[in-house]
Amino acid sequence: MTAAETGTTQATDYELAQRAAQGDMQAFEEIYQRHNRRVYSLCLRMTQNVSEAEDLAQEVFIQLFRKIGSFRGESAFTTWLHRLTVNQVLMHFRKRSVKMEQTTEEGETPVQIVQGTENPNAMPVVDRIALDKAIAQLPPGYRTVFVLHDVEGHEHEEIARMLGCSVGTSKSQLHKARMKLRMLLRQQKQPG
Amino acid sequence: MNCEKCQELLSDFLDGTITSEDRATFDAHLEECIACAGVRDDLGVIVSFCREQRGEYVSPPNERAMWLRIRNLIESERDAEAAKTASASNLIGSTERESLWSRLTHSHWDISLPQLLASIAVIAIAVSLATGFGMRRWQGQQAVNVEPHANAQSPQAALMSLDERTRDQQLAIDYWNRRIEERRARWSQQTRDAFDHNLSVLDQAVADQRQQLTVNPHDEISEEMLNDALYEKIRLLREFSDL
Repeated sequence: MTAAETGTTQATDYELAQRAAQGDMQAFEEIYQRHNRRVYSLCLRMTQNVSEAEDLAQEVFIQLFRKIGSFRGESAFTTWLHRLTVNQVLMHFRKRSVKMEQTTEEGETPVQIVQGTENPNAMPVVDRIALDKAIAQLPPGYRTVFVLHDVEGHEHEEIARMLGCSVGTSKSQLHKARMKLRMLLRQQKQPG
Repeated sequence: MNCEKCQELLSDFLDGTITSEDRATFDAHLEECIACAGVRDDLGVIVSFCREQRGEYVSPPNERAMWLRIRNLIESERDAEAAKTASASNLIGSTERESLWSRLTHSHWDISLPQLLASIAVIAIAVSLATGFGMRRWQGQQAVNVEPHANAQSPQAALMSLDERTRDQQLAIDYWNRRIEERRARWSQQTRDAFDHNLSVLDQAVADQRQQLTVNPHDEISEEMLNDALYEKIRLLREFSDL
């Protein structure tokens, strides 16, 4: 039954945000219900780690509650939340590097061959689970650009602003990420 | 065109940003080179597969449990803030104090030696804790009366103008920068490199958001991101100032 059929109208995200800013937890719960999957999926795609993604999604909503009063409705709420989420994940990556993890500039990690999953013959190179596993193998720098561009659909200019790098770096990392993914996906198809 | 140049152009081709000049030689090379055509096809599959996945979201392992955790954290934060406010504003009524004082002075005190020693020990610990806490507060005030995290996150911060907020944050940054200067000489090369790298990333983020705000002074997302970047910079400086 739709909202129109029941005679009720759904509050807009902006209205809910206004109420949540006044401390209305029901309104904030409604916001959570509407957007938690979007936020969690983005965190998961960027980290490729379920528990990290869960922690980050949780932190995003806590930050959201703190900052929701500053949402003035000039942009779409989903855009605002999306950028808040991306920012939170990037800050998480930066904090991780503050802790001096032994990664290179692009976070090179040893390449592991991902095993084939669903139906390797269904598509010549890629299936969903194999792709997710291959993305998880990408160095963090490549993965971030790849997810933001190819999965989330951001333009290079926007990615460059978010990551604080040049457009050229964003393009070059994307290309390297795609080539590396291809290599990982092909390796999984090779017998033995 | 050789294979290396062709493969460099593959992403531009897939994103539709290849120039018409390059496109002609690129197409000509692909007609002759099976290997490069194979790479193009593979990348094309990966990119189009990802595009098809857009807008598909997965649920967190336990949505309800996550919500309860979030709500608990928010509520405990609010309770802590409320308690802080209440303790600052609530003065104990003088009559109440008098009655408590009179009750204390008129009571008959019969304390054994171990009880007396234990009481002295408790008082000594309490005094040293209070002194330590007072010193910390004093040092905190030296940091230009700015508690960066509280300021950056509190509801009052949201009400402050962007200029006021960034000015406060800049004062805090100046303070921590001075601390870093004092300590930097003692760091290992690895620590220095890690610090410089992270600082340059954050400085770039700050510069980018400032640039954004000069183009569009009312972009609330850029304001938020500038705030976050400055907040992270303060955190970075503070963390490293302890090393």
